[in-house]
Amino acid sequence: MQISPSVLLLIAVYTPILTGLILLTLRKLPQSFASGFALGGFAIPGVIAPWLLAKWLSPNTEIQQFISEGPWGFGMGLNGLGAPLLAMTAFVGLAAGIKALTQEVEARNTYLGLILFMFGGTLGVFATTHLIGFYFFHEFALVPTFILTLFWGGEGRRSAAMQMALYLTAGAMASLAGLLIALDASGLSFNEATLVRVVEALAEGPHLPQATAALILFGLGTLASLFPFHSWAAPGYSAAPTPVSMLHAGALKKFGLYGIILLGASSLHLSQGTLGNWFLGLAVANVFVVGLICLVQRDLKQLLSWSSVAHMGPIFLGIWVAGTNGKAAGLDAAAFLMVAHGLSCAALFLLGNAVRTRAGTYRLDSLGGMASRSPILAALFIAATMASIGLPGFGNFWGEIGVFLSLGGLPLWLQAIVASTVVISAVYSLRAVAATFFGPATEALEERYRVAPFGDLGLAEIGAASFLLGASLVIGFCPAIITRSTNPVMTDIAAYSQRAEIKLSKPAPQRAPQSPATPAR
Amino acid sequence: MSPDLSCLVHWILFLPLVVAAFSAVVLRRAGTIAAWLSTATAFVIAYLAWIVLSQVPGDLVWHVKLANFGQMELGFGYLLNAHARLMLFVVSFVAAWIHLFSIGYMADDEAKGRFFAGLSIFMFSILGIVVADNLLMTFIFWELVGFSSYMLIAHYFDKDFAAAASKKAFITNRVGDLGFILGLAFCLQHFGTLNFADLAAHQPAGGWPIALGALLMCGFLGKSAQFPLHVWLTDAMAGPTPVSALIHAATMVAAGVYFMARIFFLMTPEVLEIIAISGASMAALGGLCALAQTDIKKSLAYSTLAHLGIMACALGLGHPELALLHMTMHAFFKATLFLGAGSVIHGCHHEQNMLQMGGLLKKMPITATAFIIATLSNCAVPFFAGWYSKDAIIEAAFHGHHYVAFGLLAIAALATCLYSARMVRLVFLGSAQSEAAEHAHESPWTMTVPLVILGVVFSLAAGFATSFLIPANATVSIAEPLHEMAFSFTAPATWVGLLSLLAGWAALKFYGIFPGKDSLQVFSPRTYHLLEHRWVDSFYEWYLHKVQRRAAEFIAFLDLLLINGVIGRWIAAGIPAVLGYFTGRTLHRGQTRGYALWIILGTLLLAWCFLAR
Repeated sequence: MQISPSVLLLIAVYTPILTGLILLTLRKLPQSFASGFALGGFAIPGVIAPWLLAKWLSPNTEIQQFISEGPWGFGMGLNGLGAPLLAMTAFVGLAAGIKALTQEVEARNTYLGLILFMFGGTLGVFATTHLIGFYFFHEFALVPTFILTLFWGGEGRRSAAMQMALYLTAGAMASLAGLLIALDASGLSFNEATLVRVVEALAEGPHLPQATAALILFGLGTLASLFPFHSWAAPGYSAAPTPVSMLHAGALKKFGLYGIILLGASSLHLSQGTLGNWFLGLAVANVFVVGLICLVQRDLKQLLSWSSVAHMGPIFLGIWVAGTNGKAAGLDAAAFLMVAHGLSCAALFLLGNAVRTRAGTYRLDSLGGMASRSPILAALFIAATMASIGLPGFGNFWGEIGVFLSLGGLPLWLQAIVASTVVISAVYSLRAVAATFFGPATEALEERYRVAPFGDLGLAEIGAASFLLGASLVIGFCPAIITRSTNPVMTDIAAYSQRAEIKLSKPAPQRAPQSPATPAR
Repeated sequence: MSPDLSCLVHWILFLPLVVAAFSAVVLRRAGTIAAWLSTATAFVIAYLAWIVLSQVPGDLVWHVKLANFGQMELGFGYLLNAHARLMLFVVSFVAAWIHLFSIGYMADDEAKGRFFAGLSIFMFSILGIVVADNLLMTFIFWELVGFSSYMLIAHYFDKDFAAAASKKAFITNRVGDLGFILGLAFCLQHFGTLNFADLAAHQPAGGWPIALGALLMCGFLGKSAQFPLHVWLTDAMAGPTPVSALIHAATMVAAGVYFMARIFFLMTPEVLEIIAISGASMAALGGLCALAQTDIKKSLAYSTLAHLGIMACALGLGHPELALLHMTMHAFFKATLFLGAGSVIHGCHHEQNMLQMGGLLKKMPITATAFIIATLSNCAVPFFAGWYSKDAIIEAAFHGHHYVAFGLLAIAALATCLYSARMVRLVFLGSAQSEAAEHAHESPWTMTVPLVILGVVFSLAAGFATSFLIPANATVSIAEPLHEMAFSFTAPATWVGLLSLLAGWAALKFYGIFPGKDSLQVFSPRTYHLLEHRWVDSFYEWYLHKVQRRAAEFIAFLDLLLINGVIGRWIAAGIPAVLGYFTGRTLHRGQTRGYALWIILGTLLLAWCFLAR
């Protein structure tokens, strides 16, 4: 018997949520049972989602096969952008799950259950067809994130969780307000409000004021750490337990970008007018200013967190440029980078934590020379670092180079500032690699080794990290896996963005005298 | 196009990648097996390349589409034209012998598996540059070459200098690649393609824009270590010596020259003028600085800088075929010089200071013979390999009426003879200056065979016996200058060469005056200190620590103070105030559970609003 893809999609999203529910209700469940359940919850989407992506790419399947109607906006369905993001989330979730299962924590079942909720919610975000389901699943994933950070987090978890809750609530509220206005303008009832219909209705409907677009851009932008609404991100990721950092920075954060692309870029002309200029400026600041901030970090996890903020810059720029010229190249590249960054960023948090458990610290000046004692850890960490700074072969390269190439129409100096990220990210990332793994071992580390001798990575950690990096390599060598999925939808979105612009411009007066040369973009 | 041959090219390109992955994953602890596997692969590649070169009827073209970003098509393909065929021969041939040499040199190393996996990754990367048919693919392999160089320089990672040098090499190269990326974007924006053949076919009416050539040139400046991005090459000597021979002398740094020859049609006269002058200056400066290095590898590294400058100058003078000719000859004799240095270092138990050597001619006769022949080739003694290309370039500068370049190249030729004489005098002549040199021994066959092949055969005869040594298909692009080269007393370059050789002979005597000391340092410490050349590095260090770091710290401070402080407080005060207004209680004390509750309630409330519609 063949199971339809839409059923598999439902299974992928609800398995983690159900297993999470079981673990949360049966808190006294023996550890081995709990681990078995949790592993199932983490692994099943990890098997299904890549299969769904493969099925999605196969020319024989119809979109209808992936859609299942549900009540109150809980219908599920894939789209060209959601499919690769779903697969990425499943991979990150599986790796985070393996990490969580190997951790020794208090109230383990609750911990695992909440992470499973977070995982299921993130999967739901990319698998839902409805506007409200999209929003609901995000909140569903975010609430466990706060709780996990607050109770199981590391140093500074209280203030970090607090700040994160404040920023993300504010961002979610702003974006919700924007979505509600947009929904109202589209004239659709709640039940009809699928993402596709909203976008189509907006493109054909009345022109919305830019304030609406601004609400959505800055609201969802806050969730994706757009400058200057990024202050929550670095402390938030740093303080969170590692599986949570992996899922949040790798997968959940992409919610904001996903929303900006599907709703904002398509029909709200984010890249035009004053708002467009602000968007460009802030995205460049994400690349350059945050990049400079990364240079002065002295703590490995803080550095990883900040760099994860900096890497959002090229994604924003890809979205921005597609809205200005109507070419899908920027969006395709942005989508590619969203997927690839999820994989590399999760791998870095995972391996960074492996450094911490061995050396007992994240402080770069106390680390050094770890490659002698933990060569596999060093090799995988360097691989993950290379992935994150866009070395060809890994997925991030295609995303970054795609964005740079699509920015060809900008003034050269601005392109140079944006592309300077290839130098800046190499500087801070390689500095971290050298400080952690190269050179002679520091005295602090030698002392630590005497007290608590440490070895190389365990099999579980090697497996989790190789899984993420392997996926990045696969899309690095066969970029068509992602672009064939995203290209059609991104082409439509880019076309929509221009349609909106045509509607925006007032009808030109007949035989108007030629206006003096207006600066062309 | 022949389908069989493109299939062979697949093998040539991807075999080393597979071997590298296999070595890294499976043979991590079986270093000796990894070493022989990697070396065997290198020879198989050389053999396959030979087959391709002997069978290919003309240009080999093959292309496949990789992915589409919007309308932008990214492709992967091969363009084996005359330039590429020459480079394919040089890379595969020289690399195979250096692999063999590495087996002897790295015999006692504990991390052989990692080292040879790195060499194989490098082979994959450099071969990718050789066969690439478009700018993006070139860039991809360009970056990969930078990565393999990084990994191999960091081979002795537990030493601080190796850690610093690897970082410096990667980052300096990336500075150049920044320009390369902008060039790619510019090219795609204005001409809609990155394919070499398509670009060549569509020359714009008004000529190519200056910006395109200038931006792509940046990549060349980084990879080929030209001013102002030359600082990484001398530090890169922290890697094992075979790496210096293969990557930092014979192939990778020369790949920049190859790339420029490949896109030569994009260069405008303005860009060429810059390349000519900066190349000639680098040639003179590198040669002079080689005089003030005590580390044998550093001295050779400055010599490489000088030769890269000569190649760049040839490009700038409008003679890409001469640049490629010099690249080929230089690959043979400079690889030999580095391998000879490696053999000497190996024989002297890892002593690299030339002042601690001496008298090795008798103790290491094969190494000494190969080294001295390569040195003579380096000094462009007539009819040695180096003479065919170097004299041709000096002659071209004179006949092109580019007297500045001619003058600088003449200084370079003089300096080459001086530092070569110094090196031979300090290392091989005189008496042993240390315990290590006293007990030096000849290296095993794995090291001497490559020395004989590359040194005795190719450094000597690659010029006059080209047709016997190199497949005819590979030498199409350099055949003309090679055949035209003839010894003539009327040529100014001949006189430059002869006078330099005379000066070199004098230097041989001069450096014998104070055994165990550098004569120049004794006679003129200030000149010597000036030539030690630390000023560009000092400037960069000043910039990094005093300017960039402080600016970054200032920005981080502003971010913390203004953005985090002000905006954070504003939100922090705003939301609780609103919520507090409704609930009558303050939420200021970090009660995140309370927040979670509020978020859930708020969401439910909004959901209800929706449902009520």
